[in-house]
Amino acid sequence: MMTEETSTVAVRVRFMGDLRAVIGKRDQTMTLPQGSTVGDLFASLCRSYGEPFVSRVFSKAGALQHYVVVFVNGKNIKEAGGLGTRLEESEIEIVMLPMFEGG
Amino acid sequence: MESNWVLTSCGMCYVGCGIRVRVDDGVVTGIEGDPNHPQNRGNMCAKGKAGLMNLYNPHRLKTPLKRTNPKKGLHEDPKWQEISWEEALSTITERLGAIREDPKKLYVQAWEVIGDNFYWLLALGSAFGTPHLMGNASATCGKVIHPVEFFSGGGFHQQPDLHYCKYLVLVGTQFAIAARGAFNHILRDMAEARARGMKLVVVDPVGGFAASKADEWVPIRPGTDSAFALGMLHVLLNEAGIYDEKFLQHRTNAAYLVGPHGRYLRDPVSGKPLIYDAADRSAKIFDDPAVKEPAIAGSYDFEGLKARPSFELLREHVRQYPPEKVEEITSVPAKTIRRIAREFGEAVSIGATMMLDGVELPSRPACVDWAKGPQGHKHGFHQSWALKLINIVTGAVNVPGGILSTAAAGKRPFLWWPDGGTDGLLEDGGHILPLPHPKAFPGRTPTRPIRMDLAELFPLAPHFHTLLPITSEDPARWGLDYRIEVMLHAPTNSLLGSFGDIKMVERFYQTIPFIFGFGIEINETNLFDDIVLPFPTYLERYDFVAGTGLLIPHCGKDDWFWQVRQPAVKPPEGIRYPQEVIMEIAARLGILDDFYRLLNHAFRMKEPYTLEAGKRYSVTEVIDRMARCWFGEERGLEWFQENGLVRIPRDVEEAYIGPFIHARLPVYLEHFLQRGEELKEVTDGMGLKWDFSDYVPLPEWLPCPAYDAVKRDGFDLIAVHFKFPYVYGSYGNDNPWIDELCEKTGAYGVLIHSDVAKAKGIADGDEVWLESPVEKVRAKAKVTQCIHPQVVGIGGHFGHWAPGMPIAQGKGVNFNALLPTEMERIDKISTALDHCVEVRVYK
Repeated sequence: MMTEETSTVAVRVRFMGDLRAVIGKRDQTMTLPQGSTVGDLFASLCRSYGEPFVSRVFSKAGALQHYVVVFVNGKNIKEAGGLGTRLEESEIEIVMLPMFEGG
Repeated sequence: MESNWVLTSCGMCYVGCGIRVRVDDGVVTGIEGDPNHPQNRGNMCAKGKAGLMNLYNPHRLKTPLKRTNPKKGLHEDPKWQEISWEEALSTITERLGAIREDPKKLYVQAWEVIGDNFYWLLALGSAFGTPHLMGNASATCGKVIHPVEFFSGGGFHQQPDLHYCKYLVLVGTQFAIAARGAFNHILRDMAEARARGMKLVVVDPVGGFAASKADEWVPIRPGTDSAFALGMLHVLLNEAGIYDEKFLQHRTNAAYLVGPHGRYLRDPVSGKPLIYDAADRSAKIFDDPAVKEPAIAGSYDFEGLKARPSFELLREHVRQYPPEKVEEITSVPAKTIRRIAREFGEAVSIGATMMLDGVELPSRPACVDWAKGPQGHKHGFHQSWALKLINIVTGAVNVPGGILSTAAAGKRPFLWWPDGGTDGLLEDGGHILPLPHPKAFPGRTPTRPIRMDLAELFPLAPHFHTLLPITSEDPARWGLDYRIEVMLHAPTNSLLGSFGDIKMVERFYQTIPFIFGFGIEINETNLFDDIVLPFPTYLERYDFVAGTGLLIPHCGKDDWFWQVRQPAVKPPEGIRYPQEVIMEIAARLGILDDFYRLLNHAFRMKEPYTLEAGKRYSVTEVIDRMARCWFGEERGLEWFQENGLVRIPRDVEEAYIGPFIHARLPVYLEHFLQRGEELKEVTDGMGLKWDFSDYVPLPEWLPCPAYDAVKRDGFDLIAVHFKFPYVYGSYGNDNPWIDELCEKTGAYGVLIHSDVAKAKGIADGDEVWLESPVEKVRAKAKVTQCIHPQVVGIGGHFGHWAPGMPIAQGKGVNFNALLPTEMERIDKISTALDHCVEVRVYK
């Protein structure tokens, strides 16, 4: 039987770009059920921070905006399973990069 | 005497031509074009030749400075005091540390695309956590071309295919004659195309360099480009019946059925747009493999709903713009519009194909090109979008002879390729770096702003900095409860070149308590600095990214390339490599590891070359890692220093991507309706009056404020800006050779039509007053027939007053200073600041 200690994972999430101002703090520690994914983490953040967070992060349900980059333990989730990436004890950075400009 | 030649990259503008620099006993004595370099094929321009005068400019900054005069203003003496690097960096770290818990109070102006610092400053700002990152320079240029290009071509910029084009219309651009990326390469292509018989039509208020080379110059009223385009579209679609039906059916959204309220009819299960298949008279999902003959005309009933293909709506829409009506708007004679449209329609040769390296491709040897001019208006997005539609409806996109998308796809040193997304439309543009491209499709959900540049209220724009002087006047009006407290800037001159109304920009800069940045010479922006850090010239630097060859190279089959910039000479003692300064600031702020992570991401760095957390690197070590990661272990920095560049051949698929991308192009912007409705909810909630006239799926011509203003208030002319091939931007102008060229060619004067001058009693060379609603300056009249009679033409980036630029001081006019900066002059789609302004001219 899974103990309380092993049934959850603790992750520290850091925010950069616009999200830093939406969240109102630089980072936050979150506890999620064991087996949670990056998508579950985002669902939790959406519940906590509502429309201002959702509108900046998602282009449509289940699709991150192209300027949102997520690193889990330093690895870009695009190379590790996207929103389905499983979370362990993790350091996560969610970055809103500036759109490339010119002119 | 010891002499040697150094292969490196020019930095006198953003292009990044290959150069050979002669160094005699440690002194640069000459610069030549590198004949092996694809970006310029040995050609050089006057700016490039003049670069050594910037290197040996006696007014160069060589040590950090701090201001001792706390009062800031356009003409305020900062009373500089030389300080050590340690004091400069400690002060900077302390001031940044003070806003560490609220990083949005940092504003970074990163524009310096000559080299790495553009990317490095943006990465520093991102690691710090601020959203206020400005990666462009102009208040208009780039605002529309890039987002339009990513969803209608797949790449960063557009370029007519001069190798096969037979009929080229340039609107508000001096492409391949006086401006644009890969300039020194494409100018030879232009010469060859003209010698081959390509007809060149230039539509522009100014009869400048491009007009002088053209078969035909068509003077046009400023801010009426969309009307001209819509008139051409009407002639093509409704009078001549010329359009590429197969292309429209299968490669665009022309067949998507549009129902009531302008929205697509969608399949209730998949949510995908429906089309009508004329082959079996049934509605199908657009990507159903069984679709045979998608209808792009007609009207259909679906369960009581009337629906029409979007192309049918476009065709009907442009009926509102017959040439006779367009003549009234543009001043271009109806018969000229009709003739040009028909000549274009004939030249584009719909249905033709050609073989290239064994591959059969559509051949469309005619296209319309546009750039800075049409973008810079109150309704800049639609001014430009209507022009792009001419290429799309004739299928002249990304195929030989048509309009090509720059750097949209490549296979070496790794694969990047544009791709379809929402509703099958081109959504993921091609970009060699995995950085978010500037997108107008599908846009973002608008929401109440937290950003000082109001990005949240411009859901289809990628650029926002033009809003900063407006919001800084009264942040609370926009629901903002803070101000920018620290600004970091590149060594460019944003104060002069990035905004409008100079008094408003002065007030904006005065609101920022601490400004620091780089400087080669003390320009007008540096006059507001609290600390200035000396910056090496391009002849003293290392850069992994040398110019914009990665974004705006020449198009077509010619080799592509990668060059690493290396110093021809060492920077003067006291000047540090900027990349190392940026790393030092990141380290002192405790964000170096985050900075590395972003740099690793931006430059596709893979093990074992990634920058490792906890380590410190020199600039040469970083560039060496990048070079080896991209081009193989044997091609590190040392290899590039010896060989200059890697030449990279391009396949047909890379050169002409049209038939090889799995995405459709738009002729109808359905998502504009949705974003407009969403935005209205937000602005209503904020109690803001907002102009939604541009949130429409088909382009309309709408007048700029100046268009109507010339009929009242004593303003009788409209001032516009144009470029010289020997002047770039608003820095680097303190150069005696460039100054001499400007003097000898009358570049410092303002163009006034000879009939207007006569009526006003103004003679060539007279000193006149030039007065806009926000600024009044003295100027020298250059009387000419080569300007639209209702227009005043102002070229270059002049009007300097900084004491650190004694050669440029007091010469010419700073055009941007004349531009009223208010929400009513901002394009609500792109954030471009209107670049035509009503003026009066008198002695």
